[in-house]
Amino acid sequence: MDIVEIIIGVIALLMAIRIFLTRSRARKLLYLCCLSFCISALIALYVDSPMGGIVAITYFVCSTLSSNAIAYTIEQAKDIE
Amino acid sequence: MEIVEIIKVVVAGIICWLNFVLIDTYFGLPEKPGVLGAKTIGEKIRDIGGNIHGGYFMGNIVCSPDASAGTLLASIMSYLMGVEGGIIAALLVWIGNRLCADPGYAGTIGALTITAIIYLLSPIIEAKYFIAGMVLAIFTIQGFEHKYASILLGKIAKKMNRGE
Repeated sequence: MDIVEIIIGVIALLMAIRIFLTRSRARKLLYLCCLSFCISALIALYVDSPMGGIVAITYFVCSTLSSNAIAYTIEQAKDIE
Repeated sequence: MEIVEIIKVVVAGIICWLNFVLIDTYFGLPEKPGVLGAKTIGEKIRDIGGNIHGGYFMGNIVCSPDASAGTLLASIMSYLMGVEGGIIAALLVWIGNRLCADPGYAGTIGALTITAIIYLLSPIIEAKYFIAGMVLAIFTIQGFEHKYASILLGKIAKKMNRGE
């Protein structure tokens, strides 16, 4: 295994653990964003073809879209409370 | 050999960090939350003792593909396809920005500048190290310690006259 993949993999695992340990929903999103960076990089490194790059970009943009929606919902829920 | 590779990753990480933080700050990410969700995250960072402008910066990164995403995706495509890949990545990041209701200048320009940097540095540091470097750079901001990261980002924003 390559040193680059090991570094990214270790960071991804660390982020997954921190997501479970953090109580605040808004701060979970920050860790989740870092995890999406790691997953998108790993997709590109493993698939290793131009199509893999397109998949990584699509994954990343979609994960950002869903984070956007979740953060918006948290704000709306605060108003209701 | 491993030591040389680790040094390359760290140097690439520093270049990526400067690239995305400077471009994002220049385009005013710390000034105001671009979408409603970024405001929530900024206020949460302020509640734990961080800087509100640094918090808006981090919230905007989460809610829309900015220069940070542009840097990662352009290094991925440069690794897989060369310079053309970086330009394709810039186009796709721009589409992603438009989906998130963002003007899209920061992401596109971040992708284009990192493509140029990777092209110029390709004899010394290969594009692969920039992918790991960018993950390391985003880890220092979003994943390591939110309070101190936001204070540092707030200071940079103040120095560049963005925010306060």
